[in-house]
Amino acid sequence: MTYTVQGERGEIFDIELDENLKRANELIADENRKQLRNHGIRAIDVMGSVGSGKTSLIEQLVLLLRGRYRIAAFKGDLTTRIDSERLASLGIQTVQINTGRECHLDANLVKKALRKVDLSALDLVFIENVGNLICPADFPLGSDTRVVVVSVTEGPYMVVKHPFIFVDADVAVINKIDLAGPMNVDANRLAKDVRSINAKTSVVLTNCRTGQGVDQVASALGVGPV
Amino acid sequence: MHEFSRTSQIVEAVLSEAEKQGATKLIEVQLEIGDLTFLGFDQVKFAYKILTNKTIAHDSKLTIKRIPGRGNCNSCSYDGPLSYLDDPQFHISFPTFNCPQCGKPLSISAGRECVIKRIRIRK
Repeated sequence: MTYTVQGERGEIFDIELDENLKRANELIADENRKQLRNHGIRAIDVMGSVGSGKTSLIEQLVLLLRGRYRIAAFKGDLTTRIDSERLASLGIQTVQINTGRECHLDANLVKKALRKVDLSALDLVFIENVGNLICPADFPLGSDTRVVVVSVTEGPYMVVKHPFIFVDADVAVINKIDLAGPMNVDANRLAKDVRSINAKTSVVLTNCRTGQGVDQVASALGVGPV
Repeated sequence: MHEFSRTSQIVEAVLSEAEKQGATKLIEVQLEIGDLTFLGFDQVKFAYKILTNKTIAHDSKLTIKRIPGRGNCNSCSYDGPLSYLDDPQFHISFPTFNCPQCGKPLSISAGRECVIKRIRIRK
């Protein structure tokens, strides 16, 4: 004997959903990752605070690596093309991603940018996020490697105040070390703070105006002289 | 950060499911939100209240379960909660992603969720 019961009007039901709201971005990030891999392209997501030197770091890395790799840069900003024009002057393909009001890039914006470049003519893509040490952590883009740039001019507590950005950080760059003295900030202390939050993160001290330390960044990213 | 846009997604998803189920009233929504996300619970609740106004979810209960950060270690087989660095000069204690036993990096296994677990409806 089999009984059947069913809900009736006015009754209360619990419905299991288990719906992951971060999946929408993650699915597109996975697509981006696959597309980049299929073309044999390395993608590096450069995150960091406003004015920390993200574009300068990319500039220096392009100067160091453009003989060896075919490079493109995607440049996220609320508005203007200033930085993408600056990077384009180095002779690489660039795409300006203007987010308008959004404080971070998301996987969909990167997907659109990928459509604008000739993927078959590329080995390496730098994706420069909007200057922000908070929101980008929650939005994977599909890159292989994530870099976080902070600089000594932001003061001694920039790392410890933003621990979450280091969850997925493969490399942390402490920039403007030439100004550590005048700023009275200990760059090694910032490096130590990164390691105490995430031992997986390699830390490099740089001066991106002169290129000091940039070869070590390239090595840490696995794209430079070893 | 982003509580309003995340909560819009939540409200859209639960209303669409409730409609699919033939609900006349949405009574309760249960969420799970990880400690490592940037979602403030008070802001999510505030946005939810505004966004559900004039829908069948109006005045419904929003329950949020906090999921603490966890990780596992490939070096020493630790599997458990993240350790927190306590420094009295900061108002909150912040997590370290290193193994509390051996100091090697952990793989994060929990704490980044933003999940609608279940909804309660009346048909």
